Amino acid sequence: MKPYIEFARKTFINKMVYKFDYVVGIFNTCLQIFIFWCIYKALYGTSSKIDGISFSMVTTNFILCLGLSSTFQINDLFVQEKVNDGSIANEFLRPVNFKGRILAENIGSIIFGLIFNFIPALFVAIIFVGIQSPVSSLALLLFSASAILGFFILWQISFIVQMTSFWVINVWSISTIKNVFVNVLSGSMLPLWFMPRAVMGFIKFTPFASIYFIPIRIYLGDMQGNDILINFLRQMLWIAILYIIGEVMWRRGQKKLIVQGG
Amino acid sequence: MSKSLIELNGISKTFKISKRSKGIPSMALNLFHPKYEYKKAVKDISFRINEGEMVGFIGPNGAGKSTTIKMLSGILYPDSGHININGFVPYKQRKEYVSNIGVVFGQKSQLSWDLPVIDSFELIKHIYRISDKKYEENLEKFTELLNMSDFINQPVRQLSLGQRMRADIVAALLHSPKIVFFDEPTIGLDVVGKEKIRDFIRYLNETQGITMIFTTHDMQDIEKTCNRLIIIDKGDKLYDGNLIDIREKYGTSRQLDIQFESNINISPIEHVKVEQLDGLKKRFIFENTKVHIHELMSDLLTKYKVKDLSITEPDIETIIRQIYEGSIDIV
Repeated sequence: MKPYIEFARKTFINKMVYKFDYVVGIFNTCLQIFIFWCIYKALYGTSSKIDGISFSMVTTNFILCLGLSSTFQINDLFVQEKVNDGSIANEFLRPVNFKGRILAENIGSIIFGLIFNFIPALFVAIIFVGIQSPVSSLALLLFSASAILGFFILWQISFIVQMTSFWVINVWSISTIKNVFVNVLSGSMLPLWFMPRAVMGFIKFTPFASIYFIPIRIYLGDMQGNDILINFLRQMLWIAILYIIGEVMWRRGQKKLIVQGG
Repeated sequence: MSKSLIELNGISKTFKISKRSKGIPSMALNLFHPKYEYKKAVKDISFRINEGEMVGFIGPNGAGKSTTIKMLSGILYPDSGHININGFVPYKQRKEYVSNIGVVFGQKSQLSWDLPVIDSFELIKHIYRISDKKYEENLEKFTELLNMSDFINQPVRQLSLGQRMRADIVAALLHSPKIVFFDEPTIGLDVVGKEKIRDFIRYLNETQGITMIFTTHDMQDIEKTCNRLIIIDKGDKLYDGNLIDIREKYGTSRQLDIQFESNINISPIEHVKVEQLDGLKKRFIFENTKVHIHELMSDLLTKYKVKDLSITEPDIETIIRQIYEGSIDIV
């Protein structure tokens, strides 16, 4: 475990070096929240509820969603860069699990994001926009647990994208397509309550709704009892499925590896 | 037969290279019908290396040296054949195996570009779970031997190539590996830098008994460090044996330059090629297996008045060049 903690710590410290970066990061999150707030303010106008969803539920949704998504930043191009410049060779020479090492570094940067991006932005949002408090302290706890599972789903998807580096030279385009899917289908652009029935039917069979929407619905009390349990199981099932896909690609990819030059 | 530390049996590796054609129409066609070329980088190579041996692994560019080193260090999968090193199959048990080895790639640094050298070492300490005592001991010993104390706190990007290479070598040795692979550790270094690294490598082998494989293009590296030599070319193993043997077997040609006092004509001698050099100098070229040198010399010395003479044998570099070019046939 020690080496992995060390990787996470190193990433955390490296992030601290770029102070300007995190000030801009907080500003960026606040700006996004403000823009969304303006849009929904205009949409709601004088009506208190649309499709049975109140304005404060929507604002709470996008504040948490934007906060989480700006915290869960994963560099999809990490493996590609290593493969292309051949430094993957050095990575393979270390007695650590390469996958575990990537995860450790990502967790390091996410802890950083949580402390220096999510929490400050949340404060700003609470003061200027207002956010619903969680329905109960249990809901807050379950929200946190579900958000962590959501992160692992997002991470597994990113890992699968990164694994394509062994077959294609440029992962950027695949990463872009993935990001569009994540943004639209996870509800971080348009809350999934407002999605047309047909689209919702499709989303049900994808892992995207399990990333942000499940934790947020738990937070808002939009889901109760058995439903929560079922959705937790759904998240875990997705983690398992994506893990297997990622693992198969990782094993095959290693055999495909060509180290350029030298 | 005693068990060898490193065993390779019939290792092959083929790379698939996509074939690009010229011109837009054929390029467009290529999109739908990609053509591939298969390049055999390593063909059926086998060898054994015992504990404590120091082996030079040489061959021209593109011979398959680095590919072999990468398979030995567990980075690449061989297409066929078996590798067993210290009881491990490198590419299958990579994580457990790599703690036993150290690898220095002369062309790829494993140090963090922005961080001081010592920070990279600290990270390595944690990755390999090196105990504090061993880490301090090794660090102190190696910094002293390689004179690194004056730049150990500098960021890697500010180091000269020679300094960086020394830091990279130490980085590969901190965890006291049993086996070390050096892939062109002296590339691009000046004479003094090369000499320092050779001395250090020899020291490691002699005092610590570390088994080493060493690839290089500089034959002096090999001459000054290794006893055994493996030559490969185009993926085939050409030679595997003693460095002294190669000189005795293939370095048999001799060149005798004689300056005579007067202009003379020399009648043809069997197996000896005579060349006229400028002035009164003549060159006699022969194989020392066919011509007895003392007979030839005493013959010449008694018949003619000799002012000066010198005899040269080919250096190892020339022999290796002739092997690469195919003018020496190795069976």
